[in-house]
Amino acid sequence: MGGWVEVAQYIRETMGDSPVTLNSPSTGESKPAATPSPQEQKQMEQAYAQMKRKMSMEEIGRKIKHKIMVLSGKGGVGKSTVSTGLALSLAQQGHSVGILDIDITGPNVPKMMGLDGRRLHVENKRIHPAQGHLGVKVISMAFLLEDEDTPVVWRGPIKLGAIQQFIGDVEWGELDYLVIDFPPGTSDEPLTVAQSLPNIDGMVIVTTPQQVALMDSRKSITFSESLKVPVLGVVENMSGYTVQGNAQPGSTLSVAAPGGKTIEATADQAGRFQFTLDIFKEGGGKSTAEEFGVPFLGALPFDPGFVRGGDDGVHRIVSEPEGPSALAFAKVVAAIQEQLGDGSDNGLEII
Amino acid sequence: MATELPPLKKLERKTTEMVLTYEDESSYVVSYDDLRHACPCAKCSPMRNDDETSEILRQQVEAHPPEKPQIRTIGKYALAFEWQTGCSSGIFRFERIYDLALRKDPDRGKPYVHGAW
Repeated sequence: MGGWVEVAQYIRETMGDSPVTLNSPSTGESKPAATPSPQEQKQMEQAYAQMKRKMSMEEIGRKIKHKIMVLSGKGGVGKSTVSTGLALSLAQQGHSVGILDIDITGPNVPKMMGLDGRRLHVENKRIHPAQGHLGVKVISMAFLLEDEDTPVVWRGPIKLGAIQQFIGDVEWGELDYLVIDFPPGTSDEPLTVAQSLPNIDGMVIVTTPQQVALMDSRKSITFSESLKVPVLGVVENMSGYTVQGNAQPGSTLSVAAPGGKTIEATADQAGRFQFTLDIFKEGGGKSTAEEFGVPFLGALPFDPGFVRGGDDGVHRIVSEPEGPSALAFAKVVAAIQEQLGDGSDNGLEII
Repeated sequence: MATELPPLKKLERKTTEMVLTYEDESSYVVSYDDLRHACPCAKCSPMRNDDETSEILRQQVEAHPPEKPQIRTIGKYALAFEWQTGCSSGIFRFERIYDLALRKDPDRGKPYVHGAW
């Protein structure tokens, strides 16, 4: 038996386990060791639970080969779309993948993964993730919401305690990759995760090409240095919108593009033409990456199919596994995998 | 199940097969057709779930012209094979490659269910 009530209740009941909510000043009274007071008993139980969770986190750290944080300095750049896209693209390759949606204020990963309205199960004090498309395991704060219009109104310590439980108390099993989706900005959440989960491989910074987003991305890159988590690279989302159509073979079309530019496209022998509109400028992600000396992982096209897919619960990669967006994600994944280790020191000679 | 996996030291690409040499000096030949039929990606794997679709996958694989793949290492645990034609999506763990070398079922008898073995 499971359900949001069960999991939410579990989190509330065990919240005292979290070090951020520990508030137990010593009374200073000396009591015989054999007869601890109820307060001392509670402190001992909390210390024990905290130790257990720490051990559990270390074990999870060993069982999950790669842990990737996905951040952005600014909201609305498509971070959850990128997180789910990366997870699905990795799963397409045959990897076992999990996605942890830490965005407490706006958790929308379940909807994108076709898990809207699904519930989590707690068994033997372990939270079991839901399974979305391609077997991707999903944990999200959305699973705790009674309905999608109800916000999570939690103060910082409770929120951070919940995050620690979502790391330490989840039965992920063996995973090749865990993708962690954060709320926008450089807030408490990444700090908590970076301090709780051992051996994080690095973070992927998502941006859009416009200047404001880029400025915030630079903050994220600087933030990573504070966390001592390496930047795997920058992904530029909503990079360009490709228009396709048919016209008289050999004819040339002239289109007024953003920024006062004019784009010309010539229809081929079959009458097909295509051109790309850089709606939010172009190349900003790459220049930011170059500026900070971090890798540029690639650009993802502006694809209205992501909006429809997000609403319908069928991700673009699932509905069109060989489409342009899926291929763009595959390139980004390849670039990430290159960052995770080029295998140059594994001693393998390929002839 | 838990066969001791020796480190792969050398992979020699031939026209239709690859020769694998492990640290314990054991050497094996794996044909590219066998390798491609064992692709672990989400598109190829479900086709091995039953004999009929597995045979279709086999025919598709064998229909590709012979070619030497480009190979890249994925971290320290897998290899990716890139082909001019056909599927290049799968990431082959070293365990999977070793199973193929030993002529064992790389899926270990488990059907593919929504991306999770």
